[in-house]
Amino acid sequence: MKKTALRASLALIAPLALTPLAATAEGTLSLYNWGDYINPAVLNKFTEETGIEVTLDTYGSNEEMLAKIQAGATGYDIVFPSVHMHDIMYQLGLLAKTDIGSAAGFENIDPQFVRAKTDPDAEYCLPYAWGNVGIVYNKELAGGITGWEDFFALGKEGKKITLLDDLRETIGVGLIMGGNSVNSTDPAEVEAAADYIVSNLDGVTAFTYDSVPQVISGDVAAAHWYVGANLFVSENPETIGYIIPKEGATMYQEDICVLESAPNKENAIKFMEFYLQPEIAALNVEQQMNGTPNIPAQELIPAEIVSNETIYPDQETMGKLQIFEDLGRDLQLYNSEWTRIKTAQ
Amino acid sequence: MKLARRKVLQLIGLLGAPSVFLLVFFCGPLLTMLVYSFLTPGIYGGVDWVFSHLNYGRILGWADTRYEKFDPVFLGIFLRSLRLAGLTVVTSLLVSYPAAFWISRMSPGRRDFAIFLVTLPFFVSLIVRLFAWVLILRPTGFLNQGLMGIGITSDPIEFLYSDFAVILGMTYVFIPFMFLPLYGSIEKLDIAQLEASSDLGATRVQTFWKVVLPATMPGIIGGSIITFIPSLGNFIVPSVLGGAKVLMIGNLIEQQFLSARNWPFGSALAMMVMAAVLLLLVVQLRLARRGDA
Repeated sequence: MKKTALRASLALIAPLALTPLAATAEGTLSLYNWGDYINPAVLNKFTEETGIEVTLDTYGSNEEMLAKIQAGATGYDIVFPSVHMHDIMYQLGLLAKTDIGSAAGFENIDPQFVRAKTDPDAEYCLPYAWGNVGIVYNKELAGGITGWEDFFALGKEGKKITLLDDLRETIGVGLIMGGNSVNSTDPAEVEAAADYIVSNLDGVTAFTYDSVPQVISGDVAAAHWYVGANLFVSENPETIGYIIPKEGATMYQEDICVLESAPNKENAIKFMEFYLQPEIAALNVEQQMNGTPNIPAQELIPAEIVSNETIYPDQETMGKLQIFEDLGRDLQLYNSEWTRIKTAQ
Repeated sequence: MKLARRKVLQLIGLLGAPSVFLLVFFCGPLLTMLVYSFLTPGIYGGVDWVFSHLNYGRILGWADTRYEKFDPVFLGIFLRSLRLAGLTVVTSLLVSYPAAFWISRMSPGRRDFAIFLVTLPFFVSLIVRLFAWVLILRPTGFLNQGLMGIGITSDPIEFLYSDFAVILGMTYVFIPFMFLPLYGSIEKLDIAQLEASSDLGATRVQTFWKVVLPATMPGIIGGSIITFIPSLGNFIVPSVLGGAKVLMIGNLIEQQFLSARNWPFGSALAMMVMAAVLLLLVVQLRLARRGDA
């Protein structure tokens, strides 16, 4: 997920309708999304075309969103869970059937992105966007970096590096380096992954999401971060770069889902159908700089984005990207190891 | 008897609303946490209604299952939090005490303005203020540039992401909590007593130890307690200025409720914090009573 400097806990309500009074006649649509995870122009266009007034609330993590919905927050129509959260929400009966998989235009979607095990025919949710989690680095301090080994070597040289403050992502790096699945539930593998991170903590100055400004300023040589770093790379091409580590990396994908409790189900489905249009998916990528599963949309995306190997990697690199699955109770194995990592100095 | 009954009714009328408020919004959540701390975590957050003592076992030493293992690291984090919160109290006291004296001697107009200044930071979001500290403390930040500019150091000093940064940040955040009770007791200090003390031959140091300090002790204790309690549970400062590497008990609790989805263990940890705070209050009450006698 793309996180912003101030993370998204500063929940923001943005009334995006152009002409609220005229629009109310067509009803409303209420989105609950990650912070900065949709191009506002997409929402404006939706309102323009349909007259439906859109409101947007934001969250900072899957768990935060789930906790709110479980606690009975109503009034939201659409949420954007990661694939494993899509599965959880399906099992908890929180999602509404939309039959988006048989809607006109669904043939635009690359079938490899219909990932949720509980929703193999996309009867519930629409694949929204995806990206990988790699390394953003300062060219002067960490030029020539190719993967995790180089990354941790920087730390041993006395330069500063940061890891994400996320237990799955950071232990995931250790699992990748041990040649294991990032969804391992073998206590020995998880422990070995944590040991790998602990033995490489030299130079890890912080576990944080707010690392890009420090990479740009040179306070940090390289940071574990999201593909969204390309946005900052395009603004500072001389200073920083982004790579997918050669040893492998994790990837994420979010889906557009309609809640069972949605007050405006019809409008929500209209939004999904609207988002199936290649022009709209492309409009979103233009600002978000992430991957879209919409194949014809890739023709419409600015060349510098679609030709960027870190945003649209080749199939070989794609094969090295692992996506998180829900671990159920076994998440607790990671929980204990995570505390050990954070207290090892 | 009639009078007594009226008094009872009056009392109910006066205390009823706050009591109900406390019962619902203070005791209610607290009781929920207490009950949750003895349950099993639900797979997707929440709890399963199955009794478990292992949440405490993990902290105190008897748990040993696939998911719940005793690890001394939890007590270690607890002790570190106590130490950091204690140091925060000491540094805020050292800053606030002279400041309160100075401000209490100002002319009324300037005094009100100074107190307004002390509370001014509350007008800006805490997150924004902490990120400002990141800009000040980081290696290429204002502080290091200043120090290097005047030649005190040639290489940047590691201020950010350290215990130092966390204590500095918490002191900065909680100074108003320390200052206001201190100011209350220092302002009430009778100048005549100080004059009497010096007339009777006490040196300035003796006057401070024997007159000023005992007279302002209630403010010191009050300020220390309301600084210590929120410092102990704080998780924003260690995560922003400590880089989440200076793990405090508050961070651990937050982690249990969000990313780790283990509410019962989070509740058990929170109960431990409660116990520590209660212990502190009991000790303080004892001390205060002995002081009165």
